[in-house]
Amino acid sequence: MVRLWSIYGEPLWVLVNLGFPVLSSLALSLLYVSAGMADYTGFAILGGVMVSFWGNVLWSMASQFNWDKQEGLFEIYLTSPASMPAILIGMSLGGIAATAPSAVLVTIVGWALFHPPIAASWAAVALTFVLTLASLYALGMSLASLYLVYGRQAESLNNVLQEPVSMLSGIYFPSIGSFSPFPFALQVVASLIPLTIGMDALRRSLFFSQGLASVWPSLLALAAMAVVLLFVSTRALKALEKKGRMDGTVAVRIR
Amino acid sequence: MINLRPLFVAAWMGVQHDLSWTTPGAALLLNTIAPIASAMTTSIIYWLGSTTAGAFDPSRLAFVLVGATLYAHIAAYSWVPTQAIAEGKNLGVFPHVYITSRSSALYLAGRALSSFMISTTTSMAALTVAYFVLGSFFHTTIPLVVDPSTVLMLAVALLVNIPGALGLGYLLGAYSLYASKFEWALPGYVAGLLMVFSGALFPPSILPWPISVGAAALPYTMFINAARDAIIYDSPAAYASALFYCAVGGLLALVFGLTVFRAAEAKARKDGVIDRRLA
Repeated sequence: MVRLWSIYGEPLWVLVNLGFPVLSSLALSLLYVSAGMADYTGFAILGGVMVSFWGNVLWSMASQFNWDKQEGLFEIYLTSPASMPAILIGMSLGGIAATAPSAVLVTIVGWALFHPPIAASWAAVALTFVLTLASLYALGMSLASLYLVYGRQAESLNNVLQEPVSMLSGIYFPSIGSFSPFPFALQVVASLIPLTIGMDALRRSLFFSQGLASVWPSLLALAAMAVVLLFVSTRALKALEKKGRMDGTVAVRIR
Repeated sequence: MINLRPLFVAAWMGVQHDLSWTTPGAALLLNTIAPIASAMTTSIIYWLGSTTAGAFDPSRLAFVLVGATLYAHIAAYSWVPTQAIAEGKNLGVFPHVYITSRSSALYLAGRALSSFMISTTTSMAALTVAYFVLGSFFHTTIPLVVDPSTVLMLAVALLVNIPGALGLGYLLGAYSLYASKFEWALPGYVAGLLMVFSGALFPPSILPWPISVGAAALPYTMFINAARDAIIYDSPAAYASALFYCAVGGLLALVFGLTVFRAAEAKARKDGVIDRRLA
């Protein structure tokens, strides 16, 4: 609720999240058109939708505790009766709701301008989308525990992670499978990122009519990744919080 | 005579800011990863689209690769004045710039120059790495003309683009003097707008009229054209023409940006927001 209030209570924040996803998906759709493959503009539009959530995971989940330390909010989390994982799960749900306007706008603008051909199996699309977000935000929770120990480096690490993960996970093009330009070893590495599995399954179910019977291995992998990452983040948060309390550094405002 | 010492001091501070959060070598290496990934993403999109359509052209791949590297370069350092103001206000550093006897515009120019140097290094490294990696992935040779004369032409183009990028930086900086949140979105907006309008990924002519005419006339479009004329087409005449328009447009952008920044700064003093800490 706090996250929703903080975003929708100040409409400018909604605008903040719109710029890059809308403009990049527009530019990359035009790149597909200029390359002679207008039918693939849907890849760029879907990429614009999912890059909104990936950006939210990095900047509003992974590095959130760093901002909160600087603002003096982190001490309040520590002294509240709520557990850290519960706070992060709440932040995830709020983050998804806060990013929704950006995702919807990218979809509307992309659809209106390019009319990408869609052959969707909607049940598979919906389930894949939900599981992709679940695993992605579980990854964000794991990163949040890691970033608990970082100061200004967190921002630099986010900048380092954002583009390479976008590329490897094939947000705008297939990075695994027969259409991938990557060698097999790199595809294996890319498959360790939940977003890679999610994007691949989303593209297949949204543009190539593949239903649950075809994408179930991806759904299983996404569910497993979500559970494992949730477990890892819970353990890591506890361990790093305990270490920070013992060292007396848990609430230090590192600048 | 203009004393350039504050410019160099600000540039050195920028280098410290951007590289000293870890070892300088590691910071440069890490700063190179994002441009490599960005250049590779756009090049792969072109490759996927054109091979599926049966229209793959290696020189067009070079067009996309060079454009993608350079738009990211412009975005990286034109945003720095905004970052210097926003971060400086938030951490209480920027008011100290006003206490000094030198102008804040000179300080911002120094910060932008340091970022230009870092971004030039990382962009050229990214172009080189992406060139070899993409050539290996696609089993093709990307037709770049790399010899001392074309490298010199590219270096001159990079330098000639500075006034235009700095002008854009001052415009964004003028806004961030007043902003309290939206300035954090500016890098995304600047990068996105340059992707669409600077001819980085596709010729501006595919945009609807009159947007295509405006996009083609931007100094940033001219800069990217000049760079392509140097290292893809090896066309000195086209290069000279694009560079001339880049220089003229860049100077106009700088004068305009600086004027707006000075006016915004004077008004911000009167309005009492010059040192307002951001929320």
